Amino acid sequence: MSDIQGITIERDIQSEDMVVNIGPQHPSTHGVLRLVTTLNGEVVKNMEPVVGYLHRSKEKMGENRTFFQYQPMIDRVEYLSAFYDHYVYCTALETLAGLDIPKRVQYIRMITMELNRISSHLLWFGTFLLDLGATSPFFYAFRDREKILKLFEDISGARMMYNYYRIGGLNADIPDGWIEDVRRVINELPKRFAEYEAIVNKNPIVMDRCIGIGIINTEDCLKYGVTGPALRACGVAQDLRKTNPYCSYDEVDFDVPTSTDGDVYARYQVRIQEMYESLRIVHQALDNLPGGEPADIRKLQAEYDAVATEIKEAKKRVIVAQKQETEPEPADVKKMEEEPPELDKDWRIQGKKKVNMVSFKPPVGECMSLVESPRGFLGCYLISDGSPKALRIKWRGASYSNLSILPSMMIGNLYPDLMAVFGSLDVILPEVDR
Amino acid sequence: MSEEKQSESKEAAKDDLPPVIEPGVYGELLEKKKFKVQHLGMDAMGVEMIEVAAESLLRVAEYLRDNKKCQFDLLVSVSGVDMVDYRLSVVHLYSLSSNESLCIKVRADEKEAVPSLMPIWPAVDWHERETYDLMGIIYEGHPDLRRILMPTDWIGHPLRKDYVENDPRLVWNRR
Repeated sequence: MSDIQGITIERDIQSEDMVVNIGPQHPSTHGVLRLVTTLNGEVVKNMEPVVGYLHRSKEKMGENRTFFQYQPMIDRVEYLSAFYDHYVYCTALETLAGLDIPKRVQYIRMITMELNRISSHLLWFGTFLLDLGATSPFFYAFRDREKILKLFEDISGARMMYNYYRIGGLNADIPDGWIEDVRRVINELPKRFAEYEAIVNKNPIVMDRCIGIGIINTEDCLKYGVTGPALRACGVAQDLRKTNPYCSYDEVDFDVPTSTDGDVYARYQVRIQEMYESLRIVHQALDNLPGGEPADIRKLQAEYDAVATEIKEAKKRVIVAQKQETEPEPADVKKMEEEPPELDKDWRIQGKKKVNMVSFKPPVGECMSLVESPRGFLGCYLISDGSPKALRIKWRGASYSNLSILPSMMIGNLYPDLMAVFGSLDVILPEVDR
Repeated sequence: MSEEKQSESKEAAKDDLPPVIEPGVYGELLEKKKFKVQHLGMDAMGVEMIEVAAESLLRVAEYLRDNKKCQFDLLVSVSGVDMVDYRLSVVHLYSLSSNESLCIKVRADEKEAVPSLMPIWPAVDWHERETYDLMGIIYEGHPDLRRILMPTDWIGHPLRKDYVENDPRLVWNRR
């Protein structure tokens, strides 16, 4: 207690807690997140995330629309890696309906998903360092992300909301020359990644702000359901692509990068290494793409169509001859017995059983499809009661669980570390709120 | 002749009965330990589903987490399902050691209550809050059960099938 100019200050300022409201509009949260934080000086004493500002009732929408009508909405669940949302949804329905997916479709899905992982990680890389105060990596990352978005634009017509996968196949085959474009981009990217690492990895400011900050271990991750790069940075080589292979991931060779430190820097390193691994997968998938260039498939299909037409016409001539009770030409009779050649079923972009999008009704049943998205486990729990609309669609977003660990990472630590720790979790708020 | 008749009658009896669901690996394991489990077969992805009564849920969950043959240490999601007559709380689990998944269903009683899994998997915290918020299932024993996605003063639980949005405070309901 002190006495200054006759005024008695009764409260001890040092020991009083201060409640700081961060957000909902805050440039570093990349969405709308409110953190009610209690500070004691610079130390965080309590933190309570308030989510739900971006709730758009995606699950209720799924129950009111047919499966086809719901598809364009899925992109908005998590817009930075929308291919994963589509894959999870399509897989759930395809498994329920028992459709078999051609190899070409699987490989194109794998290529787009892995490119999507790189573009998502690049955006994370840029914004994470922007939060730490470095401006230039943001522009480098966006320059390279732009090249990948251009590829997606060529293939689907959209840069973020792709709506490219269909139940049982794809919307369209890849455009001509796309494979060459992808090769050019993925041959260039490793040089860029090396540049990033040269700028950032040994940067003293980055090292000071990242090493030893926000440390978690495997038990913490399990306690809060944290998956993805944050779990792998604790030394657990958990990757659904390896442990429960889906799509055609069992046919490509890649490693699961891990780190044992569990701090912000470890999560940064794991993500950078994952981008290299994704490039490896894309390389292998492009080399082994069934059917290869779309122009070759079109040419072959045209040849087969011509033969099929000939057989059909020969059949017609024979029938006409029989009706007129004349002898059909022996060449026509011989031709009629031929089987029309068919394109290799692995080369198609739609399964053999064509799905009618308007009247598509999966059988009664349920299914939880899980994939490894850039942020962790992404799941779609789908229950069908045999009608064209779902009984229940539940989205399990990785960000939802990953965000719930933030208070326990921050309590007792310094407030200035908040943005480094929050950024390292790579939370995307639309996925949290759905 | 008589044998044929017998076999025919057997076949007829088979048609009348509901299809027999084979117990899965974990269902069998739980049954051996004298837990009351209802087998629901496999889902389309090949994940085993079991239904557990609310009163034995916590003991079953503890067994599934701690037993060396199960080790379901990662909670994937909790979802509420409205089956019109009753409501289900569906828990999906994943094991980091065996890479297996399991789905547990619990039926909510007439008071819409289900025991909370907080003592077993603390990761259910936000998931149970979400299910309460959107489906109205009350998790007994949850320390902080309040709305998470909807505004705190929202009326009703939107994901229920009988939900009618008639809040007089909303602009579009004033007319």
